[in-house]
Amino acid sequence: MTTRAVEAWTLQPLVKFTKEAEARLVLVMTSAGQVMAQHGFSRAVEVMSAAALGAAIIASTAAMAKELKQPPFAALTHQGERHGIFLAGFGTARGMLVVLVVYDLEVSSVGLVQLFFEQLVADLQAACPKEGVPKQVLAADFERELSDSLNTLFGR
Amino acid sequence: MADEIKTLSAELARDPQSLVFLRLADLLRQRGQLDAAHRVALNGLERHPHLADAHDLYARILADKRDYERAFDEWDMARRIAPGHMGALKGLAFLYFKVGDVAQAVAHLEEAERVAPDDFTIQQALAMVRGQPMGSAAARPAGHAAALRPDAPPSPPVPEEPMAPPAGPLEDRRVFAGLEGAQEGLLLLDAAGRVLGGALRDWNGADVTEAVAAYLAGVSLEAGRTAKLLGFGAWTGLAAEGQLGHVHLAQPGPDALLLVVRDRSVPMGRLAIIAQRAAMAARRWLEQQA
Amino acid sequence: MTATGYARSLDLVTRVRGVRGAMIVSSDDGLVVAEHLMEGIKGSAVAALAASLANRLRRAMAAAGVGASVFWHLQGEQGALLVVPAASGIVVVAVAEPDVNVGLVRLELLRAAEAVR
Repeated sequence: MTTRAVEAWTLQPLVKFTKEAEARLVLVMTSAGQVMAQHGFSRAVEVMSAAALGAAIIASTAAMAKELKQPPFAALTHQGERHGIFLAGFGTARGMLVVLVVYDLEVSSVGLVQLFFEQLVADLQAACPKEGVPKQVLAADFERELSDSLNTLFGR
Repeated sequence: MADEIKTLSAELARDPQSLVFLRLADLLRQRGQLDAAHRVALNGLERHPHLADAHDLYARILADKRDYERAFDEWDMARRIAPGHMGALKGLAFLYFKVGDVAQAVAHLEEAERVAPDDFTIQQALAMVRGQPMGSAAARPAGHAAALRPDAPPSPPVPEEPMAPPAGPLEDRRVFAGLEGAQEGLLLLDAAGRVLGGALRDWNGADVTEAVAAYLAGVSLEAGRTAKLLGFGAWTGLAAEGQLGHVHLAQPGPDALLLVVRDRSVPMGRLAIIAQRAAMAARRWLEQQA
Repeated sequence: MTATGYARSLDLVTRVRGVRGAMIVSSDDGLVVAEHLMEGIKGSAVAALAASLANRLRRAMAAAGVGASVFWHLQGEQGALLVVPAASGIVVVAVAEPDVNVGLVRLELLRAAEAVR
C-alpha cells in the first residue's frame, strides 16, 4: 500500500503510524476536509468522499459538544464486523488537523490505533512548520487546488 | 504477434477511445514489453476508469513488474466494479497466496469457482492451494505461485512435489542432534518465519510445521515491540500454557526464533530448560552456517 | 461484576512481591476495563499490546494444536508481562519485575480470572 503526502512534513509520521498501527486506510486532513496525506486509498474519488465525510462528522460532533457545553470530543470510534473506524482531531501550528483511520479487526484494534495515534500527534506537532500558515483557499481556486492535491496524493 | 501489435496501435491512434487498448497492452505484456504495456494500459484506464477489464489488465502488468501493492489495489478496484470478475478474483488469490495467506487465496478461488464452475484452471489452482499447509507459499518455488496467476494457461494437473518441509530428518540431526523431541516438537525459524530446522506435529501426528511457522514471525515481532514499548528491554522468552500442551518461544540469535512444544505432562519449568538446551544447539548450528 | 469486585481481584494480584500493576483488558479491542497500576506504567499501552500479543499467540497455538491458552508469560530483560485469558474477550494482565515469582503471579491471575467470569 502506498502512502503519499501533499505536505512533505506529514509523510514520515504517517508512514510510521500506518506501520505500527497496521492501519488499512489513513487520511490526514484539515478540519475543512482539505487532504494533506493519505495511505492506502486507490482512487481520488474515495479520498474526496472520505475527507468530506470525516470533516463533516468532526464538525457535527463539535457542534453537539458545544450544545452540551463540553469541550470537543477527543475521538470517535466505530467497530464494524470486519473493520473499525477511528476519527480524531488535534491542534498544530497550522491549525486543527483531523485523522481518519480504518483498520482491519483481524490485525489491529482500537487500542493499538489509539496508542500509536498519540505518537502520530506528537510527531506531526513536532514536524509541523511553525511559519507559512497556508493561505485561505478561495472558491475560485478551490477546484485547481483540489486537483493539484489529488494529483500529488496519487503520484500523477 | 508483431503485425497484430502494429495493427492495434494504428487502430488506437485512429480512435483513442477504442477498447483495442486492452488487447494491445496485453500483447505487449506477453512479449515482455512491460513499460510500453504499462503506458497503453494507463492511458486506456484514464479514458475508461469504470471498466473492470482495464483495471484487471493494468493489475496484471503491475504484477509482472512485481509492484504487488498497486496490483492488489487494481484488482481490488476491478472487483468492486464487477464483483464476480474472474481475472480480479484469480489475481487477488494469486497475491494472497504469494504472501502466504492461504485462507484468503482459497476464499477468492472458491468465489471464482462459484462464478465459473467449469473453469478447469480454477479447480486446478484450488487443488494446489488446498494441498499446501498455511503460510507455505513463501517457502515454495516460484512455479507454484505462477500456477495460480490469473493468466496461467490451462494445463494438466502437475503432481505436487512431496510434502517435505525444510525441517526434514537431515536438518533435525544437524540442528538439534541428541535433543529430546527433535523431530516433532522443536522448530527453528529465521526472522521471516521460514523454517531452518526441526519439525512440529500436532497430537494427531499431522505435520503443522509450516502453519505454525507462518504465525510465529508475527508473534515474535509483537513480543519484541511489546517488550520495547513497555520498557522491558529485549525479550528473552515467551512461555504459554495451552489446554492440550505447552509452548516456549526463544531467540537463539538476533534473526532466529526457536519454538519448543510439549504436552501438558511436561512442567513449564522443565520446558524452559529444554528450550535453553535447544537454543544452545541452535546457536552453535547458526554460527556454523554463518 | 462490579467495579469494586474488579478492584478487589486486581488488588490481590498486585500484592505479590515484584508485581507493578494488574489490569483487566478487553482482548478484542485492546482497551482497559479495570486497572491497578504503579506510577509510571501506561495502562493503555499495556492493554493494547497485551491484547495484540494474546491474539497473535492464540492463532499460533491453535495452529500448533495445543488448544486455547490458559496462561502466558513474556519475559524481558527488565520486566515481565503475565497474562491469563478469562471470560470470552477478557484477559487479566500483570506487569512485573523480571525476577518475580511467576508461579505465584500465575495463581493470583487464575483466581482473578475466575472471579471476573
